[in-house]
Amino acid sequence: MSKKKKLMAETELASAEIIHPAEDPKLRLLNVSYIYSKGTPFEMKALDSVSLDIHRGKLTGIIGHTGSGKSTMVQLFNGLTTPTSGKVLLDGEDIWAKPKEIGKIRFRVGLVMQYPEYQLFEETVSADIAFGPKNMGLSGEEIIERVNEAASFVGLPQNLMDQSPFDLSGGQKRRVAIAGIMAMRPEVLVLDEPAAGLDPQGRRAIFSGIKRYNRETGCTVIIVSHSMEDMAEFCDDVVVMAHSKVLMAGSRDEIFSHAEKLEEVGLDIPQITRLALMLEKEGITFPESLYTVGYATEAFAALFDLGEGGGV
Amino acid sequence: MKGFALGQYYPADSVIHRLDPRMKVIAAILYIVASFLCKNFFAFVLLVVSALFLTLVSKIPLKILLRSIRALIFIMIFTAVINIFWFTEPDAEPLLAWKFIKIYRGGLFNALFILVRILAMVIGTSIFLTYTTSPIALTDAIEHLLRPLAKIKVPVHEFAMMMTIALRFIPTIVEETDKIMSAQKARGADFTTGSLMSRAKALIPVIIPLFASAFRRAGELATAMECRCYHGGEGRTKLRILRYHVRDFVALFVIFLFVGGIIAINIFGAKYGWVYTM
Repeated sequence: MSKKKKLMAETELASAEIIHPAEDPKLRLLNVSYIYSKGTPFEMKALDSVSLDIHRGKLTGIIGHTGSGKSTMVQLFNGLTTPTSGKVLLDGEDIWAKPKEIGKIRFRVGLVMQYPEYQLFEETVSADIAFGPKNMGLSGEEIIERVNEAASFVGLPQNLMDQSPFDLSGGQKRRVAIAGIMAMRPEVLVLDEPAAGLDPQGRRAIFSGIKRYNRETGCTVIIVSHSMEDMAEFCDDVVVMAHSKVLMAGSRDEIFSHAEKLEEVGLDIPQITRLALMLEKEGITFPESLYTVGYATEAFAALFDLGEGGGV
Repeated sequence: MKGFALGQYYPADSVIHRLDPRMKVIAAILYIVASFLCKNFFAFVLLVVSALFLTLVSKIPLKILLRSIRALIFIMIFTAVINIFWFTEPDAEPLLAWKFIKIYRGGLFNALFILVRILAMVIGTSIFLTYTTSPIALTDAIEHLLRPLAKIKVPVHEFAMMMTIALRFIPTIVEETDKIMSAQKARGADFTTGSLMSRAKALIPVIIPLFASAFRRAGELATAMECRCYHGGEGRTKLRILRYHVRDFVALFVIFLFVGGIIAINIFGAKYGWVYTM
């Protein structure tokens, strides 16, 4: 790149308006675009100059329709793909500053891809979880410790550890795969549709394991999903993607207080939020936006207490 | 794995795209035969002209076409170089003689001819078959053309079905390989550095899940076919029925004209003793 061009690119980056800015973001996307099959008839823009902050230590949910660019975005976080233009900053440093050391970035930003159970290959569950830490060059003891820690986060019972991963059920395989990334103790854990295709119990177990990991280790966690209910229940921050761009990003309260806007772009809002919106139309108002059943129960209880107190 | 060019259909709107796939299979065979018939310089000129003509008519960008040539460049150059040294003319003066290596003018021409022949063959077959014909249409055509063999109990339909399924799953498996490689890279696997041995070992975490999923897919597909009462080719009707159009016969006529032209040039060449024959 010529000096002038570089300068221009830098000013362009500086002028990027970041959505949901943070003082000290863990991850920052600056004007990131990604185009598939560039220069062929199959060319497709998957991300269109996205500038976004992921807040440190938070559990961030990314939601959007299929084809909105979610999965493309997460593969940029750990350098599996290179942005067509723009920068990805981890702790303020460009992850592509030293392309040869991108492997180190992948240990710092752990990515669990969609349907990760199909990547298992080792003879035993524990050996499979140990694959990542082994690649990091850790000592045997350290590896064992990390494998056990990760297994407990995802709720894998000890008696499964010596079985072949191919003999497990789908949900158990999924947990093994997630543990395989957690065992690398990444600073950022990114999960692409971690609960896709699981039954409700399996979903809850996986999400609460991830939440516990986030709270206990203080690591930044990013979850991609298209289930609003799950996002509403487990995330601190929510990023809404639509048409290769970030439509909205902010804390969970901020996003769900714009429930109508979510419906406008055709995203499902949690059922309980829809009920609250309908009630509001009928003149019943709630002090805050409702998005989990837990909140709703309290709010309804308060409403009825008020009613009884009023002596109906 | 990106830009995987085996059997890559290039959608465009051209006369060749619209030809009946059976006719394209026949045309490709005739084209290969024609390139082997070429005996002298002028026949090769006609071959080059025809390759250029095909490229223009098919509307395939040169860049795409070069990709399929690039894969064979080593073989082409290797064969050409071997031919330079192999050629001996008993009563001609060598252009260059050093110890046992003698290079003749005829050898240079020979190498050039071989190069042109392979090039034309690659361009011809990839234009007729891979770039302008979707794999499904191609297997359909092959099934049709081989149908007479069913009379002598060759399971033509089964072969065609196997080929269709194999072709159908190439992109799926390539995609799957990409995915698994990405997943293992995310766990710190390194496929690009280290000795040959360690790189081969690094592929184990890719190959095992790939095989596991290929078997799983095969099982699922078999079940799905069974559920839809698949029972082989007997009495089975086609969704897309192939029909010859006028343009197919015109194309066949042009191809025959081209083959005839090459034979005519060969005969003239032999009669008037044109040099640099093979």
